[in-house]
Amino acid sequence: MNKVLLGRYLPGSSFIHRLDPRSKLILSFYFIIIIFLANNWLTYLFMFAVVAGCILLAKIKLSFFWKGVQPLIWLILFTVVLQILFSRGGTVYWQWGPFSLTQTGIISGIYVFFRFVLIIFMSTLLTLTTPPLEIAGALESLLKPLKKIHFPVYEVSLMLSIALRFVPTLLDEATKIMNAQRSRGVNFDTGSLRQRLHAVVPLLIPLFVSAFNRAEDLATAMEARGYHGGEGRTKYRVNQWRLRDTLSMFAFLLVTVIMFLLRTW
Amino acid sequence: MDLSINFKNVTYIYQPATPFAHRALSDVSFSIPEHSYTAVIGHTGSGKSTLIQHLNGLLRPTSGELTVNDQLITTTTTNKELVKLRRQVGVVFQFPEAQLFEETVLKDIAFAPKNFGATPAEAEKIARKTAELVQLPASVLEQSPFELSGGQMRRVAIAGILAMQPQILVLDEPTAGLDPRGHQEIMELFAQLKQQQDLTVILVTHQMDDVALYADQVIVLEEGKIMAQQTPRKLFSRPEWLHKHHLDLPHAAKLAFAIQQQSNFKFKELPLTEDQLADQLAKWLPKEGSSN
Repeated sequence: MNKVLLGRYLPGSSFIHRLDPRSKLILSFYFIIIIFLANNWLTYLFMFAVVAGCILLAKIKLSFFWKGVQPLIWLILFTVVLQILFSRGGTVYWQWGPFSLTQTGIISGIYVFFRFVLIIFMSTLLTLTTPPLEIAGALESLLKPLKKIHFPVYEVSLMLSIALRFVPTLLDEATKIMNAQRSRGVNFDTGSLRQRLHAVVPLLIPLFVSAFNRAEDLATAMEARGYHGGEGRTKYRVNQWRLRDTLSMFAFLLVTVIMFLLRTW
Repeated sequence: MDLSINFKNVTYIYQPATPFAHRALSDVSFSIPEHSYTAVIGHTGSGKSTLIQHLNGLLRPTSGELTVNDQLITTTTTNKELVKLRRQVGVVFQFPEAQLFEETVLKDIAFAPKNFGATPAEAEKIARKTAELVQLPASVLEQSPFELSGGQMRRVAIAGILAMQPQILVLDEPTAGLDPRGHQEIMELFAQLKQQQDLTVILVTHQMDDVALYADQVIVLEEGKIMAQQTPRKLFSRPEWLHKHHLDLPHAAKLAFAIQQQSNFKFKELPLTEDQLADQLAKWLPKEGSSN
């Protein structure tokens, strides 16, 4: 249960850690978009260099990023295989019905793999260097303009914060309940699929009960402290846009320019 | 069969080889004789919960080994080898009512016996007997456990463990959050069971009164290390040591120390329980009364 890396924050004080969460959020999305500009080896190499630079700046061990890729490896390989089998063009090595193995297919398969790895590395970097609540806060602040069209920005961001806040709590709770049921002879790890599904019932029911109880307690606690929606509420953490955020924006603009140059190399 | 518990250089590290690595137990060695009542005390985060999760193999040591009921548990012991042990070691976790899930109280109590191979009829019989043991009124047996009061839910959860008929009973603050009467009833029940069935009991607690009343020996944990293992009497006769380790005295002992400090009365033997305190004071008070 503790192996989940998703939403895991590694405290630190590197350049990346100290960036405004809003600029980290914007740049991560922006990076995912410009990955699609890559169309040849040189551009992919350059994208990897950019990610490597960011990772170096964050002072986080590379092994963490591989751990981010691991849970998704089957999804990635599946997509890669589809890409290889269904793309056509260039030399044909093998063909069977609708499936074919071509030069273009293999190359685009490799590109897809790179794209996945790049996206996962970048989003892992975002979650490793930014506490989940700051990401939610940044999202709220970036979505503010949508208030004009009556999008419930505050409520959505509150829901997101609460959900993120309770992920570790629920994981803890799940571990506790699993331990209790294991002590009563439940076997979660072995047995047929049917037996294993059966074993999940004594885990899920108490987990739901406790989640509902927690939700009620939280609602009571919020009301007791005078919660009345987002109107006029001030923030404890105030984001501040600094020179380094502006600099990072320019750096990524430069990256875009270089990408365009390398595309037509 | 040897029912004792032996820890040999057990170290446990949560999430080793990550920046979140946390050493919860370091090089812990001790033994608990069979049929004894052992209290484990220490502050939050001292490693008590980690320690008891080793007793039925929920956690396996990062290094070192332990034997429980002749079953050796090392880093590589598999879950399969531990099935037998899980039946012999009943663990009542903190706030055990979190484990309730069945439709009726009776079914929930019968859950563990069924898992360990009892037929439904046998399991039900055991469940009825255990429910009586923990003083659950017969009227609640067919109700949903979620409709009961907090105190009754706790009894159902405890019955769910006792129904396994374990030889070793591990209790992690079993009465936390109960009212004083519920607390006393449950603690008396465990003491009685220990007597009748010759159980080995391990109690994790913050209540020094319980340590004084029930335990034969105390293990003091601090930051994953064992600071002391001795009888309650020896432990509580060193108030400076306890103070240094931020541990409390039983209420009776505390009062006795206060009396000693503010009067010329000397206790022959430090009273640990209310009864002992009352006995010694009773011998003293009439004398005082008659001299006035």
